[in-house]
Amino acid sequence: MPESAAPEIGEADVVVGLVPPPRDGDALESAIARIVSVSLPMRAVLVHPPYAATASAPPANTEWQIVTSQQVGQNPANTVQTLEDSFRAIADMARKAGARACGLIASDLSVVTPRWIHLLIEPALSQSFDLIAPCYARHPFEGMINRAIVYPLFRALYGKQVRNPMGPDFGISAKLLERATGGSRPRAHPLLSLATEAATSGMKICQSHLGPRAYSPPDWTALSSLLALVLGPLFTDVERYASNWQRARGSQPIPEFGDPLFVSGPETPIDVTRLIDSFRLGARNLREVWGMILPPSTLVELLGLSRRDGGGFSMPDETWARIVYDFALAYRVRTISREQILRSITPIYLGWLASYANGLGSLDSEAVEGRLEKLCLAYEDTKPYFVARWRWPDRFNP
Amino acid sequence: MWDQVGQTLKESTVRVVSRLAGLLPGTVALLIAVLLAAFLAMVVAFVLRRFLRRIGFDEQLDAWGFTGMSQWSPGNSPSELVTRVVSWSIVLLGFVLGLGAFDATLTSQMAFRLVDYVPNVVTAIVVLVVGVVVARYIARNVLIEAVNMNLQYARLLSLGVKWMVMVMAIAMALDHLQIGSGIVHLAFGILFGGIVFALSLSVALGSKELVSRSLERESDRASAPDTEEPFRHL
Repeated sequence: MPESAAPEIGEADVVVGLVPPPRDGDALESAIARIVSVSLPMRAVLVHPPYAATASAPPANTEWQIVTSQQVGQNPANTVQTLEDSFRAIADMARKAGARACGLIASDLSVVTPRWIHLLIEPALSQSFDLIAPCYARHPFEGMINRAIVYPLFRALYGKQVRNPMGPDFGISAKLLERATGGSRPRAHPLLSLATEAATSGMKICQSHLGPRAYSPPDWTALSSLLALVLGPLFTDVERYASNWQRARGSQPIPEFGDPLFVSGPETPIDVTRLIDSFRLGARNLREVWGMILPPSTLVELLGLSRRDGGGFSMPDETWARIVYDFALAYRVRTISREQILRSITPIYLGWLASYANGLGSLDSEAVEGRLEKLCLAYEDTKPYFVARWRWPDRFNP
Repeated sequence: MWDQVGQTLKESTVRVVSRLAGLLPGTVALLIAVLLAAFLAMVVAFVLRRFLRRIGFDEQLDAWGFTGMSQWSPGNSPSELVTRVVSWSIVLLGFVLGLGAFDATLTSQMAFRLVDYVPNVVTAIVVLVVGVVVARYIARNVLIEAVNMNLQYARLLSLGVKWMVMVMAIAMALDHLQIGSGIVHLAFGILFGGIVFALSLSVALGSKELVSRSLERESDRASAPDTEEPFRHL
């Protein structure tokens, strides 16, 4: 970022950065209009990507100063920055402007309301929280990578019940921002490591119920890439913060803001045949690869599971938790190439998905929450297994 | 007559013995050279083994992605493989030096040609080892991706790719060894083409029903509206 950018923006109390995934100028413009329509009793800056027509002309009677990310030093020739680049640029600007809090919106902007900004910023300003993580209203089959792996693993390892540790929408205090973007230790992805950084350094964490989040249609062929994209930074953090999570015991809830919402799921029963077929195909063909990652007892269990019929298909939560831990360990010791490790979990994940759908008797919020809680407890109960394998990967191999 | 036979035999014996006596210094030199080389090889192997273990060569190799090396190494240790290759090379060098000590034109020529040939052998071995490692890596990648794409013939595809790379590596190694270059080129073309053709045939004809079922499932999935897919992964 050029040194000249900060003086143009001046000082601010709050900086909000928009990093929407698609290049949708219309959605971006309407989101900007919605956000700046709310009057804040402080100096606020809204940073948005340069592909919206709305430039630095804020509506009357607003404290908002609107700038494009181009103005804060990102490469003007490249208007589609990565999430990481955008986060770094916005964080840099927030630090130079002396902001007390920074909000980052990386979800699809079509559902973002001014309330999102309030819920993400206010706890940092009034109650000195360092990280405000998001809670989304989801139906029982949404956010499955988060439900199956990210949330339970984060909770079991770091002891904080942060529902969406990887955001991607966050409220961040100046203190955490300084810690996450500064320092000598390079991070795999500073945005995705925010919650880990906050949890391991004893910072104050809370979460805000933001409401529903918009999703793009699923692309099944890209599922393994998606898993690799999410699990890569997650497992890298597990390796980096090993000394912290080995000390943590159990998990604690964190303060919540806003009203929890629940979106009802599909009313017709879910057909899991295709998921089970994918799992069976994996069990038939990837036995050799899984054998290099999983201990023999787990491999035998998976192969036995692949021979069961669709109705009785059920993967125990403890087995699934151990599998995720084994993959995290294989990622650390590089049993095979890391990319291959991350991608080869896909069929097992689909198998767990089928088991989850089969085991979910009712689709009401209590049943879904109960199911998720059971899974999280399985992760916590299995943690000693992971600690033992982590310390003695060669010797402890059941 | 008997005197003449005795004389001839005597002369022949003297000739053979003197020839053998002439060979003796060379033989002793060869033996000494081999023994010295063996001793040097042992010392170098000892030092090299300790050094490679100290720098964690096996782990480093895994980290660089050459994970298949350990399966092809003695004692599942690439360090051991490197140590043995280096020590045997020293013994071989000692043997070649010893051959030169005979000072005979033929053995000298043979020794020089052998020395000239060593780089080709080393290159061929390197090409072969890299080829095997790359083949296994690519085959595993193809297998995982094909399974994730729900292709029923994933293993067949992976095997085909593996052997294509292996055949290419073997052909390149033989080319470096200058063994039947024309035949190798021709055989490589036939084998490589054959594998591609066999793959095409097995996919198109042999596995017709399997493939059509797989493709049908794929097209059903593609034509199905997004609302039927209840799962959202992110």
